[in-house]
Amino acid sequence: MKTNQKKAWLFLAPTIIFVTLFSIYPILRAFGMSFQGGSLIDLHWNGFSNYQYIFNDPEFWLAIKNTVLYAVISVPVGLAISIMLAWIIFDKVKHKSFFETTFFMPYVTSTIAIGIVFRYIFNGDYGMLNFLLRSLHLPAPDWIDDPAMSLTTIIIFGIWSSLAFNIVILMGALRNIDPNFYTIADMYGASGRDKFWRITMPELVPTIAFLLTMNVIGAFKIYTSVYALFNGQAGVGNSGTTAVFYIYNKFQIVGTPGVAMAATVILFLIILFATFLQRKMMKKVGEN
Amino acid sequence: MKRIRLGVLFSYIILFIFAVITVFPFIYMILGGLMSFQETTSIPPTLIPHHFEWSNYATVFARAPFGRYFFNTVLTASVTTIVSLFNSLLGAFAMVNLRFKGKGLIQLVLLSLLMVPGEAIIFTNYNTIAHMGLLNTYVGLVLPFLTSIFYMYYLQSYFGSISDTIYKAAMIDGASDWDYIWKILVPMSKGGLFTVGLLSFISGWNSFLWPLLVTNEDTMRLLNNGLSAFASDAGSETQLQLAAATLTVLPILILYLIFRKQIIKGVVRNDLKG
Amino acid sequence: MDNNKFVEVKNLRKVYDNGHEAIKNVSFSVKKGDLVCLLGPSGCGKTTILNMLAGLLNPTEGDILFNGKSVIKVAPKDRHIGYVFQNYALYPHMTVLQNVMFPLIVGANKKSKAEAKEIATKYMELTQITELADQKPGNLSGGQQQRVAIARALVQEPQILLMDEPLSNLDARLRLKIREEIRSLVKTVGITTLFVTHDQEEALSIGDKIILFNDGIIQQDDLGQNFYLEPNNYFVANFVGNPVIDNFKVTKTANEIKSSQFTINLADMEQSRFKRELPDGEYVLSVRPENIVPDPDGLFETKVDDIELIGRERILKFTFDNQQVRSLINLEAPIKHGDVVKLKMRLNRVFLFTPEGERVY
Repeated sequence: MKTNQKKAWLFLAPTIIFVTLFSIYPILRAFGMSFQGGSLIDLHWNGFSNYQYIFNDPEFWLAIKNTVLYAVISVPVGLAISIMLAWIIFDKVKHKSFFETTFFMPYVTSTIAIGIVFRYIFNGDYGMLNFLLRSLHLPAPDWIDDPAMSLTTIIIFGIWSSLAFNIVILMGALRNIDPNFYTIADMYGASGRDKFWRITMPELVPTIAFLLTMNVIGAFKIYTSVYALFNGQAGVGNSGTTAVFYIYNKFQIVGTPGVAMAATVILFLIILFATFLQRKMMKKVGEN
Repeated sequence: MKRIRLGVLFSYIILFIFAVITVFPFIYMILGGLMSFQETTSIPPTLIPHHFEWSNYATVFARAPFGRYFFNTVLTASVTTIVSLFNSLLGAFAMVNLRFKGKGLIQLVLLSLLMVPGEAIIFTNYNTIAHMGLLNTYVGLVLPFLTSIFYMYYLQSYFGSISDTIYKAAMIDGASDWDYIWKILVPMSKGGLFTVGLLSFISGWNSFLWPLLVTNEDTMRLLNNGLSAFASDAGSETQLQLAAATLTVLPILILYLIFRKQIIKGVVRNDLKG
Repeated sequence: MDNNKFVEVKNLRKVYDNGHEAIKNVSFSVKKGDLVCLLGPSGCGKTTILNMLAGLLNPTEGDILFNGKSVIKVAPKDRHIGYVFQNYALYPHMTVLQNVMFPLIVGANKKSKAEAKEIATKYMELTQITELADQKPGNLSGGQQQRVAIARALVQEPQILLMDEPLSNLDARLRLKIREEIRSLVKTVGITTLFVTHDQEEALSIGDKIILFNDGIIQQDDLGQNFYLEPNNYFVANFVGNPVIDNFKVTKTANEIKSSQFTINLADMEQSRFKRELPDGEYVLSVRPENIVPDPDGLFETKVDDIELIGRERILKFTFDNQQVRSLINLEAPIKHGDVVKLKMRLNRVFLFTPEGERVY
C-alpha cells in the first residue's frame, strides 16, 4: 500500500468542506467582526471600540457576573450531588440500571419543555414548590417574578439538569474500577468510608476532572434554560441575563454584531482560561 | 451492625428523594396537560386531575400548527442524522485505515475545533446562511450540521478498536475501500452507528437556538421553537402549555426508554455530549 | 521462468516513518512449491518482510519479484497471494461460509454466488470445516478459526501463501497437530508458502528450508539441519537448539586453546574445519550440550549443581566462569546431584567464534 494514499482526501472531502465553511470560517469571521462596527449589511472597521463598549456596559458585567456565579455554584453542587447519588446507586442498590435510566431522563428531553414545567412548579402563587414550602412553614419566595430570585431559580434548574450526564458518566467510571481493589481492602478490614475515600475517589479523579471541564464549559454557554424558565426573557428586568443572552441580544435584537462578536471572543477566552485552570488544578490533585 | 443499616436506610432515603425530584416534573407535565384551567391554578395544587381533559390537545393543535412542527422536526433531525453519519463514517474510515500526508494536521485541527463552543460560531453561521438566502428554508436549518466532528471522532475510536488486520485481510481478499466500508466496517459497527444515530437524532429534535435564529415563519419552525412561541402566546393557560410540552417530550422519551441501554452505553463510551 | 526463484527478494530495505530501520539489506529466493519458514526472535523484521511481500507495506528500497516479474507497484489484491494473519482476521459478522466466499464475491473479477459457493465448499472440505459453514467465527475454537482463515486464504487459488505466526494463538497440543496439517495441506495444493514463526522447533519441523533473521538481516538461509550442524555465526548457534548451546571464553595461543579450566591442544582439532588462519587472541568456544559428556578421560573436572529431567534425557547443570553450562546425558547414567564428574568435548563438533560472532571453526 502506498505511504501517501491521496484517496483519503476524497473520503474526508465532505467533512473538510463543511468544517471549513461552518466551523473554521465563522471563528475567523467572528474574530474579525469583533473589530467592526455597524449593522450586518454595513460593516466597517472600528478598532477596539466594541471591546471598549462592552467593558463599559453594566449589562455586560451583569451577564458575566451571572454566568460566572452560575458556573461557580451550580457546577460543584451538581457534581457533588451526582457523586453521592452515583456512589449510592453503585454501592447500595440492586437495580442499578433502573436508577441509571431514571436519572438520565433529563439529558434526552427538551430543555424548553422541561423549563415550562419548572416555571409552573416554581410559580409564586399556585406552584407546587411553594405549596410544599408553605406547608413546612418555610419562606416561599416568588421564584419567577422576583428579580432577586432569578439567578437562584436558574441555578436550581441547572443543577437538576446536570445530574443526568454526570451520574451516567460516573457510573461508567465506577464500573471500571477493578473490583479486586475492594476485595483486597476488605481483607485488610477497611471500612466503607476508607474504601470510598482511599479507593473510589482517587480512581474517579480523571472522570471528575473531565466532568468539571464539560460542566463548566456548559455552564458558560447557558442560554436555553433561562429562555425556557422566563418565557423568552432573561428574568424580570433582565435580572437573569447571561453571556449568551447578551450576545444574542446585541446580535439579533439590537443589531450590533460587532459588539456581539467582541463579547463572544471574551466568552471564548474565559472558557479557555477556565479549562486551562482546571487542568492545572486537577493535575495537582492527581499528583497528591 | 445497626449503624450500617441506618447508613443504608439514609442512603435509600436520599436516593428516593432525588429520584422523585428527577421524575416528578415529567409526571406532573403529563398530568398537568390533562387538567382544567381551574385545576392548574388551584391552591392547594391539584396533582391528579378529576377528569382527563383530552380536549387540551385538540386546543393545542387548533391554536398552533404542531403537526407541521412535528414534520419539520422529524425531517431536519433525520436529514442531519443520516447525512452527518454518512460524512462522519467516510471521514473516520479515512482517518483510521488510510495513510496519507497531512493526517496528523487534520486530526489536530479537528480536535481543536472540538473545544470551540457552538455558541461562539452560531451567530456568524447565521450570517453565512443569511447571505446564501437560506433563511426560513429546510436547507438553512440543516446545512451547518451536516457534518459532525464529534461523531466522526466517536466513530474513529469505534473503528480504531477493530483490528487493522481485518482491513488488510479485506485488501488481500480483493475488496475495494467502498466494499470494505459497506460490507465489513458498517456491519461490524452497527451498534456504534446506531447509537450515534440515536444521539444525533435526539440532539436534532431538541435543537433550539439555531432554528430560533434562522426561522421566523411559523411554517418553518421546529417543535421547540413552536413550543416556546406557543407558551408565550398561551400566556396563563398552563394546561395548554403543559400539553404542548408533553407533545414535544413524549416521542423522544419513548424512544429513549426503548433504546435506553444503547443510548447510555453510547454516552458513557466516549463521554459523548450530544 | 526460473522455478528456483519463484519468489525473489532483492536488496530489500525498510525504514519506518519514525526512522527505525526494520529491514537492512535482505535478499533471498524461494523455489516453486516449497514451504519456507521465516524464523527469528520478535522484532527481527520477519513480519515486516511478509507485509512487504503482500503489498501491505512499501519497501524503502529493493525489489520483490513473483514469477520473475516485479510486484512492487502491484496492489495486494492483484498479487495472487493468500494471507493468514496471526489473529486470523475473520470477519466476525459473517458466517464461516460467507467468510470463505468473501474473496470471490468482491473486487474486479467477482464470481456468481453459485460459483463462489461451489469453490468455497471445495476448500472448506479440504480444510475440514464443511459442517461449520453456518457458524459465526465467535463460536469457533482457535483451531477451527485457523482452518477458516486458511480456507479463505486459499479460495482465490493464489500462487503464494503467506502465513504470519498462524499457530501462536493455539495451545501446545493443537499446535503440533495443526502444523502437520498445514504442511500436508500446502503440499497437496502445491502452493508456494512463506511461513513466519518465532518458534525454531516449528520451523525445523515444517519448513523445506529456513531463513533466520535478526536485526533486519538474514543470519542464515539454509536447510533445517544445517542451522544445527553448521551455524553461520554465534547468533545462529545460540538461537537454534534446545537446550541452548554452551559457550566458553577461550584464549588462543600458538598451539593451544585455553580456558580458565581446560586446555585443548590445537593439534587435536580437526584441521579441515578451520575456516581461515587464526590470529592469537580471545575467542568463544561453543559446543552443544549433547557433545559435552561425562567421560573418565575428560578435559576438566566439575561438580554437578543440578539435574533436570527432560523426558528421555537429563540435563546436567554446572557452573563455569560463573555461568551455567549444560550437558545432555541419557537417563540411565549413574550420576546424581553433587557428584564430581569429568567432562569431555567432541572436538569435531565444537565451534569457534570471534568476539564479533564470526564463525572460524
